[in-house]
Amino acid sequence: MIGISGTGANAADRRDRRFGYAMATPSLLVLFLIILFPVISALFTSLHDYTLIAPNFDTFTGLTNFKLALGDAEFRHSAWLTLRFVIGVVALEFLIGFAVALMLNKVERFKPIYYAILLCPLLMNPVIVGLIWRMFLHPNLGIVNYLLSTIGIDPVNWLGDTKIAIWTVILVDIWHQVSFMIVLLLAGLSSLPKEPYEAARVDGANAFQCFIHITLPMMRTVIVVTLLIRLIFAVKTYDLIYIMTRGGPGTATDFVSYFIYRTAFVSLNVGEASAMSIILLTAILGLTVYLYRYMRSIN
Amino acid sequence: MLKQLLLGSVMALGFIGSAAAEPVNILMEGVPDTEYVKALVPEFTKETGIEVNLEVVNYAEMHTKLVPQLVSPKGSYSAIVVDFYWVGEFAKAGWMQPLDDRIKADNFDTSPYIPAMMDLVGKVNGTTYMLPFYNYAMGLTYRTDLLADAKNQADFKTKYGMDLKVPETWDEYQKQVEFFTKDGFYGAVNQGLRPDPIAMEWSNYLFANGGEYHDADWKPTLNTPAGVKALEQYTNSINKYGPVGSASFGFDEAFNVMAQGKAYSYITYNFFRTAYDDPSKSAVVGKVEIMPVPGVSPDKGGSLNGAWGWAIPKSSPNPDDAWTFLKWVESKEITKKRALAGGSPTRTDVFDDADVLAKYPYYPALKKLLLTSHNFAVFTYTPQLVEVLGRELSLAVAGEKTPADALAAVEVEFTELAKKDGKLK
Amino acid sequence: MKLRWSNIVPHVILSVFSLCILLPLIWVLRVSLTDKLTAYKIPPEIGHLGLENYVEIFSTYPFERWFLNSLVVALAATAISLPLATAMAYAFARFNTGGAFLRLGVLASQMLPPIILVLPLFTLFFSTGLMQTHMGLILSHLTISLPFLSWMLVSFFEGDSASLEEAARIDGATRWQAFIKIAVPVAAPGILAAGLLGFILSWNEFLFALVLSGASSQTLPIGLASMETHAGVEIAPLAAATVVSLLPIFALLPFLRKYLIKGLSLGALK
Repeated sequence: MIGISGTGANAADRRDRRFGYAMATPSLLVLFLIILFPVISALFTSLHDYTLIAPNFDTFTGLTNFKLALGDAEFRHSAWLTLRFVIGVVALEFLIGFAVALMLNKVERFKPIYYAILLCPLLMNPVIVGLIWRMFLHPNLGIVNYLLSTIGIDPVNWLGDTKIAIWTVILVDIWHQVSFMIVLLLAGLSSLPKEPYEAARVDGANAFQCFIHITLPMMRTVIVVTLLIRLIFAVKTYDLIYIMTRGGPGTATDFVSYFIYRTAFVSLNVGEASAMSIILLTAILGLTVYLYRYMRSIN
Repeated sequence: MLKQLLLGSVMALGFIGSAAAEPVNILMEGVPDTEYVKALVPEFTKETGIEVNLEVVNYAEMHTKLVPQLVSPKGSYSAIVVDFYWVGEFAKAGWMQPLDDRIKADNFDTSPYIPAMMDLVGKVNGTTYMLPFYNYAMGLTYRTDLLADAKNQADFKTKYGMDLKVPETWDEYQKQVEFFTKDGFYGAVNQGLRPDPIAMEWSNYLFANGGEYHDADWKPTLNTPAGVKALEQYTNSINKYGPVGSASFGFDEAFNVMAQGKAYSYITYNFFRTAYDDPSKSAVVGKVEIMPVPGVSPDKGGSLNGAWGWAIPKSSPNPDDAWTFLKWVESKEITKKRALAGGSPTRTDVFDDADVLAKYPYYPALKKLLLTSHNFAVFTYTPQLVEVLGRELSLAVAGEKTPADALAAVEVEFTELAKKDGKLK
Repeated sequence: MKLRWSNIVPHVILSVFSLCILLPLIWVLRVSLTDKLTAYKIPPEIGHLGLENYVEIFSTYPFERWFLNSLVVALAATAISLPLATAMAYAFARFNTGGAFLRLGVLASQMLPPIILVLPLFTLFFSTGLMQTHMGLILSHLTISLPFLSWMLVSFFEGDSASLEEAARIDGATRWQAFIKIAVPVAAPGILAAGLLGFILSWNEFLFALVLSGASSQTLPIGLASMETHAGVEIAPLAAATVVSLLPIFALLPFLRKYLIKGLSLGALK
């Protein structure tokens, strides 16, 4: 905060606060108008026996929907799978993404070309990505297995094997979304000041030491926010699953968002689906608060 | 950057003012039959002055898009098309307008419709809600050239002591599947993707073994010798006689295996029959024919029936114009034109029409297929049943459950759903 | 220029990475020039090559309408949300407006699966006449991009421009001037990245666009998805459509060249 010492401090603080609210108000207004009603409606629905076949709020059921959701072994299974998937994609995409972002930050030549290439998957919709990769990964007629066969590898059952399918989905998601991390991390890297590096070089620090002692600490907030946002998106992954596996084979890729989607729009049980969503929200929010505190405690 | 974005928003504002005249809006799927309707719509507009807008979306997303529209007291769609397995749900929720009064007032004749079609996507408990649009009953597509091959015929005879010919029973077909599986060629290709591809395909196996989904009192009859045998055969077909990965195939992947000439047979929707003769998609042009899925005996079929129906939703903004369109699009004249373009008819008079028969010699087989086909369990919770069935069948194929356990699990949930719907006491 | 390992290594890594991204796209390009039969031929054959699929997406499918709708919706959603989110992020970062509660509250709405939000949104839009309009789609995309963009941007304002702003304030600049003249330019790389990602979020958004659009406002993702039908996937035209929808990246190239390099020098300016 901008602190101005002396007697004017209180008045200046007040004016600072007022300016802050003035800056936030337009956004908050828009959000109140369009998102508050849906969110409250979801909370309200979760407490009722509300199905689309009989869409009314006549039966208040309290926490029954929550109990039903938590007692549903399939829901718990899908939550567990989602956790594995989210950790997998977020961790791998971060590692690859950070490495690429660091390299991109070093180069000047061809930089726009590298950048344009990595933007391409981001501009493709998950539905298209799913359909195209289904073609590539066709076990008998796909180009991937054909290329593997030329170096003597047996056809891989990419999406039909319960052990492999989740990794296939993770790989496709990485191809599609890793650039999201790169764009944000690169922006973070390029807004870092130059002076600390120059000082460190004078002191004889090598590149690795610079990375550990300067880059990482200064990038901390950007990293946490990037991870957090990517995590929220990863939890919501459903289109890719929908196109590629429909949760199969068996229940090997039945992620929680797809499960909630089916509860709401196939079973038409919006009450229970809302309860599941709120359970999900609570879990992510808890994690966010933890990350947020962690971020604050360091600064 | 900001300048460019501002420019964009100004451009956007120009696009926002959208027209408001009230045409007939219909939500459809991008299948061949939709294309044929689309091509004929200008005739309707010329006759009646009513504009028709066909909005095409992905099949799987259609239900998602429709539901909010149907729940709402007033919606955007004048007419809709309804897949057979939404019928129970839509009727129960009261989302469709009864058509009986309109049919009576205009003397629209529904008798030419094949009875099974009217049962499936026409009437619900005696009230007519829909007019059958096109059928997608499943049939057995197989390679005629392989059956005609002299060496195959001789080898088959030595191995099984019977002639290699168009199969008359399910057991005969199963022997052929086993016979043709060799040297990287497959006896059958399956679509094991959950939920609907696997559930729909396996239904044929169930019917072909003489099984049904439920008895007259809606008591599930899946965990029966016929059901277990059907699932064992299905699991074998995927794991022993089919290509690697068919446990995750949707109909497109499976069709491609067949179209690339790598399999003997594929049980699929009958409208794929035309696609085999399209040289841009198929390497087996003229070598594939379709027949009803054979049953336990030559007189019984094992095909699963399927169809779409036209309906007018309760939330329709202009139901009268919508009815005018439905009447027109389902008239003999237009249904015949659609069939001639390649559509899948639902009316006997179109199937028996001389011009249609002259163009498509396999239509008698299709008609027989429809007449001997079996219906899926159609009730309010059909989509959930498909979901449960898909999951459990997929688990059985993956070897995580035995066929009997998987079917027992389906029965438990099926019973619950049937009770909830009041079908099962 | 002297060749040094430290110069070559980044290019090697970046080339390998770019190839991983690019090879599948090249195969898409190939599929777009042929038919479905050839696309699935194993071993691959060159087969028939032609531009039929490109003709088809414009003749059989209303590709240009999908594309334009997507462009308009995504540009407008970004143009509205970027300045708003920038201002809110600045308030969060500099004045801790609303505290952690407000900050988390803004993001919390994004943790609900969109399928739960779409029904009330539908009701809301229907009663206000926004159903099936471009404006409705733009508003629905704001519900996603505003919270995310403001979160992305907070971290870029938490850098060390505060001291520069303080100096400017002592020199007599107003709070607004300090924000516009100092904070925004310093955070420019972040704002550019956030704008880009905001555009992408809206460009790819599927569920809201599916439920809230109509025939005339259908966006590209919904249109392209309709090429997967009950009667199979129209993979060749789909590939062609994918290729065309990626072409605008080339239009972005000069822009990227300018701003990527400029973004770097801005960092050095401080």
